[in-house]
Parts: sequence; C-alpha cells; structure tokens
Amino acid sequence: MTTDKYNVTEEDPGYGDGPVMDIEDHEYDEIKELDNPPPGWIMAVFYLTIGISILYGAYYFWLRVGDQQEAEYAKSVEKARLKYQKEQPAGELTLLTDAASLAAGKDIYTAMNCATCHGQNAEGNVIGPNLTDNYWLHGCKFEEVFNLVKNGFPTKGMTAFKAQLPDEKIRQVASYVISLKGSNPTGGKAPQGDPCE
Amino acid sequence: MEIQKFYYDNKIVRQFIWATIVWGVVGIIVGLLIALQLAFPVFNLDLSLTSFGRMRPLHTNAIIFAFVGNAIFAGVYYSLQKLLKTRMFNDTLSAINFWGWQLIILLAALSLTLGFTTGKEYAELEWPIDILIAIVWIVFGWNMIGTILVRRVKHIYAAIWWYLATFLGIAMLHVVNSFELPISLFKSYSIYAGAQDAVVQWWYGHNAVAFFLTTPFLGLMYYYLPKAVNRPIYSYKLSIIHFWSLIFLYMWAGPHHLLYQSLPEWAQALGTTFSVMLIAPSWGGMINGFLTLRGAWDKVRDSAALKFFVVALTAYGMATFEGPMMSLKNVNSITHFTDWTIAHVHIAGMGWNGGLTFGMLYWLIPVLFKTKLYSQKLANTHFWIATLAILLYAIPLYWSAVTQWLMWREYTPEGFLAYPNFMETLTQILPMYSIRIIGGTLFLIGFLLMVYNLVKTMTSGVCVANEAAEAPALEKLGPLNPRTETVHRWLERKGIQFSIVAFVVLAIGGAVQIIPMIFIKSNVPTLKTVTPYTPLELAGRDIYIREGCYTCHSQMVRPFRWETDRYGEYSKIGEFVYDHPYQWGSRRTGPDLGRAGNPVGPMYKNTSWHFNHFMDPQKMNEKSIMPKYAWLMVRGIDTSVIPRKIRAMQTLGVPYAEGYDAKALTDMEAQAKKIAEELKTAGIEVKPDREIIAIIAYIHKLGRDISPAAVPAPAATEKSNK
Repeated sequence: MTTDKYNVTEEDPGYGDGPVMDIEDHEYDEIKELDNPPPGWIMAVFYLTIGISILYGAYYFWLRVGDQQEAEYAKSVEKARLKYQKEQPAGELTLLTDAASLAAGKDIYTAMNCATCHGQNAEGNVIGPNLTDNYWLHGCKFEEVFNLVKNGFPTKGMTAFKAQLPDEKIRQVASYVISLKGSNPTGGKAPQGDPCE
Repeated sequence: MEIQKFYYDNKIVRQFIWATIVWGVVGIIVGLLIALQLAFPVFNLDLSLTSFGRMRPLHTNAIIFAFVGNAIFAGVYYSLQKLLKTRMFNDTLSAINFWGWQLIILLAALSLTLGFTTGKEYAELEWPIDILIAIVWIVFGWNMIGTILVRRVKHIYAAIWWYLATFLGIAMLHVVNSFELPISLFKSYSIYAGAQDAVVQWWYGHNAVAFFLTTPFLGLMYYYLPKAVNRPIYSYKLSIIHFWSLIFLYMWAGPHHLLYQSLPEWAQALGTTFSVMLIAPSWGGMINGFLTLRGAWDKVRDSAALKFFVVALTAYGMATFEGPMMSLKNVNSITHFTDWTIAHVHIAGMGWNGGLTFGMLYWLIPVLFKTKLYSQKLANTHFWIATLAILLYAIPLYWSAVTQWLMWREYTPEGFLAYPNFMETLTQILPMYSIRIIGGTLFLIGFLLMVYNLVKTMTSGVCVANEAAEAPALEKLGPLNPRTETVHRWLERKGIQFSIVAFVVLAIGGAVQIIPMIFIKSNVPTLKTVTPYTPLELAGRDIYIREGCYTCHSQMVRPFRWETDRYGEYSKIGEFVYDHPYQWGSRRTGPDLGRAGNPVGPMYKNTSWHFNHFMDPQKMNEKSIMPKYAWLMVRGIDTSVIPRKIRAMQTLGVPYAEGYDAKALTDMEAQAKKIAEELKTAGIEVKPDREIIAIIAYIHKLGRDISPAAVPAPAATEKSNK
C-alpha cells in the first residue's frame, strides 16, 4: 500500500466498521454505493416536519386559531395602548428653568440630531432657522414651541417628535431651546420669522 | 465486447479551474472593499463607480456566478466525463460554455459598476446579459445531456442527477424571473409589479441558492468526496430519497424571504412550512457525506482536501438547519433586515461553497496534473486560516443582528421607542463591522495561500489536454424490466426521461405560488388613493435603482408596533402595484424609506434636508456611513427616454392617460421647477434638470399616497398661516 492520499487507484479494502453491503452493478468511476437504509432518525425528522407543517396550516387557515399578521398587530397596539395610558403622566405645559431639566433637554437635542437642521449650538444652518435669536417662525410662547416639537411642521421640514418623545421630554427640550435665547453662537443664521413680543 | 478508445478533455477543466481561481480573488477583494465601506464610508471613494450600492451587487454576482459558477463547471466537466466514460459531447459547446461565461462575467462587472441594473437582488444584470446567460446556460445543458446520451456507462450516477437538476432548475428560474420590458439597450422594467415581482424574485432568489449553490455542490460532493477518501457512498436509498424530496420542496420555500411583509398569508405559510420540511432532505446530503467518511477519519487528519470537505458538510448542515429556523415568523422578525442573514449566507458561502471548492481543487489539481500537491502543510494552514476567518466573519454579525434588533424594538417605560434615532442602532454595531473585516481579510489571505500552492502544484506536473482512455462500448439498453430493475433504476439509464420527470417535479412549487399571485385579483387588493409615479418620480426611481439604494434601505414597514412607531403605517400590498420592479430591500443598514414621503409621518424630511444629505451625509450626521452622492448634482436627468418609459409602463398596465407620453416632459419640468424653487428659498441654487431633483421627488412619493387624508393640522400650522 502506498501512503499517497491522492492516489485514487489505491486498493483499499476497508469500507468502515459496519457490514459491507455493496450493491452489484453500482460502480461509477470506481465509486461504489452501499445498500444501507437511510438512518431511521432522519426519516423520523422528515415525517415529523411534514406533520408539523400540516398542523401549522390547520392552526392558521382551517381552524383559524392563530392570528394572521394584521390581527396580531392590532392586538399588540391595543395592548400597548392600555398599558401606557395608565403610566403616561398628564404633561404640565409650563416652561422649565431648573438646571437638571435644561441639561436633560440638551441631551435630547444631541440624541435626536436636532443639530442636523439647527446647528450644533442652535445657530441655524441652511436647513433650519437660528433658535437663539429673538425671531420665531411659528411662535415663541412655550406652548407654541412645545407643540411645534411635538407635532412638527412637515412641509417646512420640522419633524414631528410625538411618536418618538414623551411629553415630558418634549417639554425639556423645548425649555432648553428657549433658554438659549441670546446665547449668540458664532455663525448665527440671520433672523427668520417674527420677533417675539 | 468492443473496447473503444477515446480522449478525456482535460483542457476545458483546466480553463474553468483558472477562471475559478481568478474570479475567486476578485470576488473576495470586492467583498473586502464593501466590508470596509460599511465600517469606514471614506472607502466609497466619493465616486459613483465605487459606491457601496454598485459594489455590493458586484460582490454577490462575482462570488455566486463567477467564482462558484466556474467551480461548478470545472467540477462538472471533469467528473461528468469520468462518470460516463466518454469525452464531453461537443468541444465547440464546451468552448462556448467557457468563453461565453467569462464574457458574461466581464459584462456583468462592467455594467454593474456603471449602474446598469434591474434592481432585483442576485438578478441585477440587464436584459442583453440575461439573454446571453440563457444561451450559455442552454449550451451547458445541451453539452451535458449530449454527453449523457453518448455515454459508455449503463446508469447515471447520483452526482449527475444533481447536475441535471441544477441545469433544469436554473434554466427555469432565470427565464421566468427575467421577463422584462426593455426600453433601451441598458434599461428594462420587470414585467411583474410589487408583490407579484417580490414573489417571483424570491422564488428565483431562494432557488438560485438551491440550484446554483446547493444542488451542483451536492453533485460535486457525491463525486469528489468518495474519490478523495476512496470509500463507497454510504446509502444509495438515501441518495434517491433526499434528491427527489429536496428538488421538489425547495421550489416552494421562496416566500420565507417575505414574512410579515405585503404578501398574502397563504403564500407566507407555504414559505414557512416548506422550509421546515426541507430540514431532512437537506441533511440527507450531509449524512450521506459524513457516513461515507465512516472508518476513514484517520485520512481526514492527513488531508487538507478532506478537512475542507468536512468543514463544507458541517457548514452545509448548519446553514440548512438555520434556514428553516429563520423561516419561522417569530425568528424571521429578528433575522430579516438585520445582519443575521448576511452571517447566514457567509456560513454557507465561505463554508459550504468555499470549503467544497477548496477541497475539490486540492484533490483535483494533483490528479489532473499527475503530480503531488506542492505543500500539504500550506494547505493545512489555509484550512485553519479559512475556518478561523469564517468564525471571525459570522460571529460578529450574529451579535450585531441581535443587538440592532433589540435596540429597534426597545421601549422606554413611558411607551416610546428607546432609540428613536436610527443612527444610534447603527453606531452601536459598527465595531462588529470592523471585526468582520478581519475575518474577510483572513479569508483572502488563506485563498492566496491556496493560489500559490496550486500554481506550484500545476507547474510541477503536466496536464494532458487530451487524455487517452478506453472503455467497453455501451450495450443496447432494453425497456423497463420490472423483474430485474426498479423503476428508479430504469430512470437512471434514461437521461431524457429522468430530465423530464425532474423538470415536472421542479415546476410545481413555483407554479402554485406565481400563477395565483398574477391571475387571482384578490391576492393583490388595490388601493384607490395610490397613483402612478409622475414622470419626474419615475426618473428618480430609476436613479434610486441605479445607485443600488435598495442594498441598504428597505421600503417595507412590517406590522410590528416598533416599526410603525418608527416609520409610520405598515405597508400594504396595494401600494406597490406600479412598482416595476419592487424595491422592498432585504437589509436595513439605513432606515426604511417606505414612508419617507408621508409629510405627516416621522420619516419625512424636506427638500433642503435631502439635498444636503445626498451631497454630504456625514455633514448632517458625522456618524452616518452613507456614501456621498455628489454626482447627482452634476448629472442631468436623461429626458430623451422619458416618453419611452411612460409608454413602457403603459404596456405593463400602469394607467397613464392615453397619449400621456407626449405630455410627460412638460409635467416633469413643471414638477422639477417647483422643487428647485423650494430649494432656492433655502438658499440652495440647483438647476431643475439635475438628477438630485428627480430622486428627491421620488423619495417624497414613497408612502405619500396612503397618508391619512384627514390629519389634524398641527397648532403651529395655523400660526404660520396668519
């Protein structure tokens, strides 16, 4: 016997540790085939998966026990509504001035990428207005700023954040923005809108 | 019995081997490039030709059709001749197969880089190349069936059953999925729209995996594994059972790519159940392979080829178990749109296709060149590097998938999304993308070691182009004799009948899904408010397709609360009826854009935002990994094709008014002017005929038609109207 693993013509008598069940006439370019049955467990898996598939079809379509995706979605929305309705504190719509709230507002300003449209220091840029001057496009009262952040002004480019931020956080970020008045950052955009009275 | 002399054609095998090696290097390098781009956007080079959206299809096409494709041909052309004891049927057909395929690859590389694409994943190539593929593929099949008919062996061995299924399956998939209406040499529209296009596309996409990456490789495994280990195949019966069950069941499983999406539930359920039923038939191949190695594991220790076969079978077993699990709806909600799928396909691609190809080459080249492998040690090194590379590639991506999915659906105690800014969920997984690069680099290094080893082996031996051989002539075969043979055994000596039966078995799954989707109206409920694209939006859509935006952005909001809170109302089947082709996407590297045009939705951004973002995404958000699209500002919209596009859409059933093609340009200019004026008020000067105008118009169309008509006006709106 040679030790060359790549010598395909090598005569090798061993066919493993099981009984040799060569099938007569099954030889292709020296590849023989044995007459072993498929392992029982793989056939069991096959029949099991067929059974599971039939049950799956029955569950969703014949017996209609399982929810289809629209019903599933509707239920999840309803569940969330009931759950969060209770916990949602009624927002007090007044300006916050304490340092902790303003710091939280600043974090929200960063996390929500407000800088993309209003600049790193709220100085405004080609997209959005300067938030540090005394001029406002959509009103300067706290309530107006709060509503603007919450509901947005989509056609002018202001995103509505009501789906992304709870009222309390909107309150914080609106208060933070109002607190920036007169901070006079470098590169401030020219005033837009009406002066605040 | 008459002994006949003949010559094996080794030259064609050697040619395909070289092509495999060369395209393998190219495909992996492009893969490495796009991995770099995802971690460091600077590697997009700010060029249209090298941006991710163009390079990603180039990578997938190069690996699947160039590397794996040539490996299939190399393996088949060698083993077919040996198994049938004859030369290939026709040398000219062999040459057409080889040179035609390389031409297709070159044209593919060129056209994808230039942005000529149909926008359908794994079927991106435009119609002239599609026709070329069909011709060359038919030549391959003709040559193979011809060889079967002139064989000197009574029965067709199991490996060849798989080769036949490969030929028939791919021919059917490619032709049906490529029905498209050309409007120029470089541009066509899929004749299917929206959900119909999706179902055809994933019938194709899933089964390209089956019949290009699985069945041919099972065939190669059935030949090269027993040859390399010199052992008999463990079970002939298992061969039969898993062959027929696999080729039948696979064709049904495509819709598992569309779970929780805008597809009728019956079709989704077929995707799930047939995937689950595929576990055992898929594993049949792995089991037959492993049991063939029984009693010969000492040989595995010494042979790199066998080691690669073992990795291939292991990866195959893992991937074919993972696939059905990913087809369960609840699991799919994690794996779809995340990096899970990317990890999954790389386990299969690097492990199964890579491993089997490497093992085959390490065994075949010394045999073909009548020499010994230059360095068994180097091959072993390749083996360990490749195995490590697969792990370093896949594990970070599984990690990233779960992380991002958890972040997408995380809520604060107040019931708001914890990470409402999509960017946070991406920034979190970027370190994983860096580790993935290490995995990819290692895989390339291992591959290059193999190239060196193989070239050294080739130069140390001689490949006889026409190798003399002899075999007894095939005696005349009679009709089925039920007393001496089974029906299957009879079929095994009837190449044509075998092919016909296989074709019928293959055709059923697709027919059951595609025909009802196209002809039964209730499957695609229409929405009255959905209108066709304006000419400008259509032009913008074609730019979106050209730039491969779908490789990172989905347009499919699934009915999950954590998706509707982030993006808006979930997607409906009726929204997509004018989408030729559909653009739902499969990976969300960036946020979903399906609602980007809904002015009261959370995804809406105004024109100046989009303009600035296309020009320089990193300026808007320094952590963004989106390429810059500065050329959209430079390139003008191709107005000459607009009327033709409108007419093509009319042919496909889009209800533009009769003769609208003549008015389309006027409408387009008016809409473009409006957008340009809007930009002007923001201080941005841009001519209305630039491509950027069209793509902004398209993005503002997405989801606009189904935005609720009666939205309470925000308080701020009233104030500004004073």
